[in-house]
Amino acid sequence: MDDEKRDPQRFLRELKNQEDNKKGRLKLFFGYAAGVGKTYAMLKAARQAKRDGVDVVVGYVERHVRPDTLALLDGLEQIPCREVDYKGIRLKEFDLDAALARRPQLILVDELAHTNAPGSRHTKRYQDVEELLRAGIDVYTTMNVQHLESLNDLVGSITGVAVSERVPDQVFDSADQVHLVDIEPDDLVKRLQAGKIYREGQAERAMGHFFTRENLAALREIALRRTADRLNRTAQRTGHEHAARAGEHILICLSSAPSNARVIRTAARMAEAFHSGFTALFVQTPETKELSGDNLRRLRDNLRLAEQLGAQISTVYGEDPAVQIAEYARVSGVTKIVMGRGNGRRRLLSVRKSLADRLIQLTGNLDVYIIPDQQPLFRGRYRRILGRDNLRFSWKDFGKMLLVTALATLVGFAFRAAGFGEANIITVYILGVLVTAVWTNGQMYGAIGSLLGVAAFNYFFTTPEFTLRATDAGYPVTFLVMLISSVISSSLAIRVKNQARQASRKAYYTELLLGSSQKLQQGRDEWEILQLAAGQLSRLLERPILYSLTEEGKDLDLRIVPAEKREEMARCFTREELGVAQWAWVNNKHAGATTDTLPHAESLYLAVRGMQGVMGVVGIPIRGYPRPEAFEKNLMVAIINECGLILERRRLRAEKQAIEMESQQERLRVNLLRAISHDLRTPLTSISGNAGVLMERSISLDEAKKQELYAAIYDDSMWLVNLTENLLSVTRIENGTMRIRMEPELLEEVFQEALSHLDRQAAQHHITTRLEDDLLMAHMDVRLIVQVIINIVNNAIKYTPEGSHIELSACRRGEMAEISIADDGPGISDEAKPHLFDMFYTASQGKADSRRGLGLGLSLCQSIVQAHGGTICALDNLPHGTVFRFTLPIAEVTNHG
Amino acid sequence: MVKSKILVVEDDPAISNLIRTTLETQNYQYHTAKTGSSALMDAISYRPDVIILDLGLPDMDGVEIIEKVRGWTNTPIIVVSARSEDQDKVEALDAGADDYLTKPFSIDELLARLRVALRRVRAEGERAGEESNIYQNGELRIDYAAGCVYLAEEEVHLTPIEYKLLCLLARNTGKVLTHNYILKEVWGSALASDTPSLRVFMATLRKKIEKTPSQPRYIQTHIGVGYRMLRQ
Repeated sequence: MDDEKRDPQRFLRELKNQEDNKKGRLKLFFGYAAGVGKTYAMLKAARQAKRDGVDVVVGYVERHVRPDTLALLDGLEQIPCREVDYKGIRLKEFDLDAALARRPQLILVDELAHTNAPGSRHTKRYQDVEELLRAGIDVYTTMNVQHLESLNDLVGSITGVAVSERVPDQVFDSADQVHLVDIEPDDLVKRLQAGKIYREGQAERAMGHFFTRENLAALREIALRRTADRLNRTAQRTGHEHAARAGEHILICLSSAPSNARVIRTAARMAEAFHSGFTALFVQTPETKELSGDNLRRLRDNLRLAEQLGAQISTVYGEDPAVQIAEYARVSGVTKIVMGRGNGRRRLLSVRKSLADRLIQLTGNLDVYIIPDQQPLFRGRYRRILGRDNLRFSWKDFGKMLLVTALATLVGFAFRAAGFGEANIITVYILGVLVTAVWTNGQMYGAIGSLLGVAAFNYFFTTPEFTLRATDAGYPVTFLVMLISSVISSSLAIRVKNQARQASRKAYYTELLLGSSQKLQQGRDEWEILQLAAGQLSRLLERPILYSLTEEGKDLDLRIVPAEKREEMARCFTREELGVAQWAWVNNKHAGATTDTLPHAESLYLAVRGMQGVMGVVGIPIRGYPRPEAFEKNLMVAIINECGLILERRRLRAEKQAIEMESQQERLRVNLLRAISHDLRTPLTSISGNAGVLMERSISLDEAKKQELYAAIYDDSMWLVNLTENLLSVTRIENGTMRIRMEPELLEEVFQEALSHLDRQAAQHHITTRLEDDLLMAHMDVRLIVQVIINIVNNAIKYTPEGSHIELSACRRGEMAEISIADDGPGISDEAKPHLFDMFYTASQGKADSRRGLGLGLSLCQSIVQAHGGTICALDNLPHGTVFRFTLPIAEVTNHG
Repeated sequence: MVKSKILVVEDDPAISNLIRTTLETQNYQYHTAKTGSSALMDAISYRPDVIILDLGLPDMDGVEIIEKVRGWTNTPIIVVSARSEDQDKVEALDAGADDYLTKPFSIDELLARLRVALRRVRAEGERAGEESNIYQNGELRIDYAAGCVYLAEEEVHLTPIEYKLLCLLARNTGKVLTHNYILKEVWGSALASDTPSLRVFMATLRKKIEKTPSQPRYIQTHIGVGYRMLRQ
């Protein structure tokens, strides 16, 4: 029993292994500086692999390498480099597409940290490598320690050289093998001096800056330690995956400060050391919305850096970052907060503690790590103390302020005329400032309005009047108090206004998110669900949105919401754009504008994911529109995820239904076959028997008798013909592959067609048609509806005595056409009515062996009518008889005559 | 009078036998073929007046045979098929067949269709002689030059579309024209949105030129397929 219990887990592990097998394996040759022999080691390993019978191809090897290394290239197949023209310089780049097309077992790609020339699919070479791995190709590559993202600062502080080409740690950690290429620093310096690494001159410079013995020793130590660390991590990962994460959770706050990157890297190293969870939190405040230019770019860079270092990105929205961070930390079980010292913001007129102090106060028993900010404070931040927006000057707001002050002055004069005291006039001015603060944008006008109000009061109302001098000794105090209360009330009013705006915005987003969930449920099919989601995104981001379902084996069919924008957005429908969308689908990753993959695209493409795979692709045009904010991005992803899940649920349900339907049809088919084989025997016996008699004894029979036998054969075969028609109709409805083809048809023509196919006995009945409107048309599959009418009329003929009347009529009932077939026969008993439309039911239950035993007709009629979206019923005719009545959707005529 | 020559292409011996017996009783001259390739040979060498063609042949698809035969001759082709789907009929008709019959069919029906086809051959032969401006069919007369239509010497007033429809049917008397074909010829498009209009115009046209619209003499409806002008 125990064994069985463990089985699923083992199975899962095996499954995961299999998946790993499908992916290519990455071997990284890791060194602490240029010239330690990474490329050499890689090429040697490749030659060994080739000797072992592996299909090895050289994708890219740096051309500046040493002669003994170049010699190793001999005999290895090489993929020619792609030449890129960049600003007049010809650059040689690794040709990813050629490599994917060649599909070797193993490919060598030198210099993992390389940045590709603009216009390449990916901005970084490690992304090329990731794509190769996804395609199931093994990769050998090389990298130096200073290119590791998390060690970037550390190396920079040791060597004093900033490195711009960086690789996320996750690439390094997830490599299947890391081969540390090590050499004594002394030997390395010797090789350098021998000119094996750089050419003369260059070597001198390199020696001076980078290749000092001390630097090399330090780099070597870092590299060795990092490799050992990785081993440690791998060992733990294979052991118990979850235990490692449980203990610690580190939180950092993202900001646009230049020092923030340092905070992120430090926190990432800590997270690594503690093997803890790592979250980067971005608090969106009214101020962050106003960021622009360098600040905004830095914020984005920091966000991406955090992402690359394995942080979970979260966004919260609120006025006070400290409160938001504390709240988030409490809810998400954060144990450590890392922040920069300069993170606090100061506000005009509010004496506050620094953010760190407040956080410590709010969070209580959390560890808060403060990283010193060595860089000089950024100049822009002083400016921000006042708030950028507040400094923006607008004549309109200025005019409003002047107007309000003038009005206040007028009211002041009126008050004085009425004999009210100065206190009343002061309140009028303060009221004016309040009105200004609410009516204008930005604190500036409230502040200026306050000053202006004091000045106006002084000028107009204090003795001596119409001067700015004040004689009374008490006035300066009055002015000061008046100014302070004006300024305070104006800043409070602005705060209230901002909060209201923020609240309404929050409410709008919440409503959008809740609304989209409900809305998406209403989609009738997958395309519509996706279209609805795209519509919500279009509302959220205020731009047209592209979308497409992904169907295995089919190309993407990009559509746009709103549809009429298609012409305008033609630039989003080029083949290149489609290629980007296709890439996002196949690789299940974001691609296009704002990402590192194919960043030159017009739009950002996101895969709509279900649990089991990509359900669709959504494209968000970026060029010509503002970039989505972090908060909007979160919402966007939430909507897309919701949509993916709903799509998947829908697809699964459809599959389940199809299976149920199939089993039901199977049952039906079995019943049908049983009924048919029974019911065919009777007419067939009659036909073959009568024919036999005619063949053998035709001489002894008189002409009248012969005619009778002929007629019997004919009647029975006609009955079989009719049965065949019915069976064909059954297969047409039940067979899922053959849809009913709805076309508008004139009911008059349909009646005629049906009546021309009636049994021979019809001659004994009086059949008439009556149409309210000769041009009445309904949507139908005409073959099937003719069959319905034939069945009902034949039934009427069968169950009514000769000479009865049968009337076919049709009339309009709102959106439906109502077709009635009435007879004046004996009618149908009440107990028979409920079973009338059951399969294999016949009115004359007593004679089960009677030849017309196959009660297929009416049940078939019902399924046909229902398939058309109509209903069918049987009613009593007055004074006696039966009316069969069914409805079909009416077809309106639009005359193009 | 010269006997009309019929080419019967049918691989099922029983049906083939039935058709042959029927043709014999009606004094037609006939020739039978069992495969598509021999049918094509016979269509050239035997020069039949009418071809009766089964769509389900062992070696070749019937629609392909129609297309090939239409490559060089307008000999009427009556399709006989066990496929009861309208789509198959429309496909055969669009490929150039003149008429179709679904199995099981009655012998009388087959003979009636045969007579319609032969009349068409004869009418075409006559028309080749005199390039006429007048179309006469029973009591129905179309004066192409004047653009007028008469029924029993009384002028019938038609709308432009009805007139176009009537002319199209008259030009193809005896041949079943599919909805798509008519839409393309008269409306210049085959949009599904136009089909209701076609039905309505047909119904009004028929009301104008048929004495009893429920038993039409001139315009026959092939429901789900198309329309045909009958020669009186």
